[in-house]
Amino acid sequence: MFEVMMYDGGVYRSEELFEMIEDVGGVVLQKNRSSQMLMVTMSVPGEDREAITKLCTDIGGVVKDVPLAGTEIAVVGPTLGRHHMPHPICDIAEELRRYGSVTVVMGMARGRGKATAQMSAVERGIVEEYDAAVFVMGNFKSCVEKKSELLEDVRVPVVLVSGPKPDGVEDRCEAVVYGVGRKASRMRTPPERDKLEEIAETMERVLRDKKRSLEEDPLFVHPAEVKQILENYEPIDMCLRPSPIALHLDGLRVKIPYSEHRDYLENVQVYGRRLGEVADIFPSRIDDSSVIIRIKTRSQVDDEDRSRN
Amino acid sequence: METVVSGDDAFGREAYAALFEEIMSDLNKAVLIDKADITLRPDVPLFIFSIALKAEPSVKTVADAANVREESGSVHLTISQERYAPAILSALWGRYGRRAVAQQTRFDLDVAGADAAEIGSMVVSSGEEDKREILGALWRSMPEGIKNRRVLMDGNVITVVATEEIMLPGMIEEGEAVHKRMGGR
Repeated sequence: MFEVMMYDGGVYRSEELFEMIEDVGGVVLQKNRSSQMLMVTMSVPGEDREAITKLCTDIGGVVKDVPLAGTEIAVVGPTLGRHHMPHPICDIAEELRRYGSVTVVMGMARGRGKATAQMSAVERGIVEEYDAAVFVMGNFKSCVEKKSELLEDVRVPVVLVSGPKPDGVEDRCEAVVYGVGRKASRMRTPPERDKLEEIAETMERVLRDKKRSLEEDPLFVHPAEVKQILENYEPIDMCLRPSPIALHLDGLRVKIPYSEHRDYLENVQVYGRRLGEVADIFPSRIDDSSVIIRIKTRSQVDDEDRSRN
Repeated sequence: METVVSGDDAFGREAYAALFEEIMSDLNKAVLIDKADITLRPDVPLFIFSIALKAEPSVKTVADAANVREESGSVHLTISQERYAPAILSALWGRYGRRAVAQQTRFDLDVAGADAAEIGSMVVSSGEEDKREILGALWRSMPEGIKNRRVLMDGNVITVVATEEIMLPGMIEEGEAVHKRMGGR
């Protein structure tokens, strides 16, 4: 059983850590270097956790649990205006990052208002590229209940965060965390920090259900293995965007243009198969600068093989 | 500042009382406000934000914001209200040119070849600008989607009646009633 953990420390002797991860058959999920500081999110066999932890401590770092590692989550506000942004939305995104997730913050073009709030098909498509979404709404119960209709058609798990406790929204989202709402300052007080933890833990619980359903019908190949194959591809290796490859529970986001690299991605070999055969590869709806790879399940691949023969 | 918030939504009432005070303090407008009356009816939706200022914003001259005196052929200013310092400097540069204005410290200025009485009467801030800033702060504290707004302003009372789609006559009447109650005409 693989366990995900994060090293937070300096770059000094970090080569030893990377060697050990490789030796035990682990995978580096994400590596962020800022000056002399380094954060490495890794997936390693459970039996080697102790040895890795000891090495991390020896080289002057600390080891943290990151239950949301390997996920990319969208934190969505009604708009990106100063009324809804930045405080609760940024604080929630930051908290989810501390739990190991890659997060993005987005606002809708016409998300403001009670009767006039809308979510376009393109916006919904963008949200659905992520593993899950947190929708942050405001302070009025009737507004939150009305606007929660926007979540009905979103096909990824949604956690609704609002001020008052809304009624009748259970069918529209996976979980509700209330007691936040619109704020004019950072969430710094102890009750507010507790609330942020509650949101992250709720998201962890929601994604655990999604992981469980993936375990029932496993993917043809784990996204981390595809990442290992792709990260040596020069355009990805040279990509200066943060996290050039972001892992999803069922695939990856690769931050290179689809139109230019489609052929390579379709034809790269994974366990003797073309990636294009075992995964759906399509451009991100945000723009052409990212590619979404959705790995098919084993049963799906078998089924397609049978229908071909 | 005394803030009264009314409405059916208990959470919204409490949250908006805190939000209003926090935003006004952030923008340095809380000290100008004597009392505020906020009506929140998100189910309509209708929002009425009314404030009574401690004093009606009036024209500010250099003499109101700085001590002006003549010293050995030039005029010396000591700024007493820092928020007007940029406007004072800008007015002096515009009238006498940058060469004539020497800024010795943050608050002390020397203007060569100027007349103290003339400098003292230069306008650095009109009351309209202050009112516009206060109105901007008021809009910032209101919910974002409530874009159809009617502003009632006279003397030291400012009232904003806001709804999302069609502004009905009854809404304006309700806003006018609040405006009168706060001391407006």
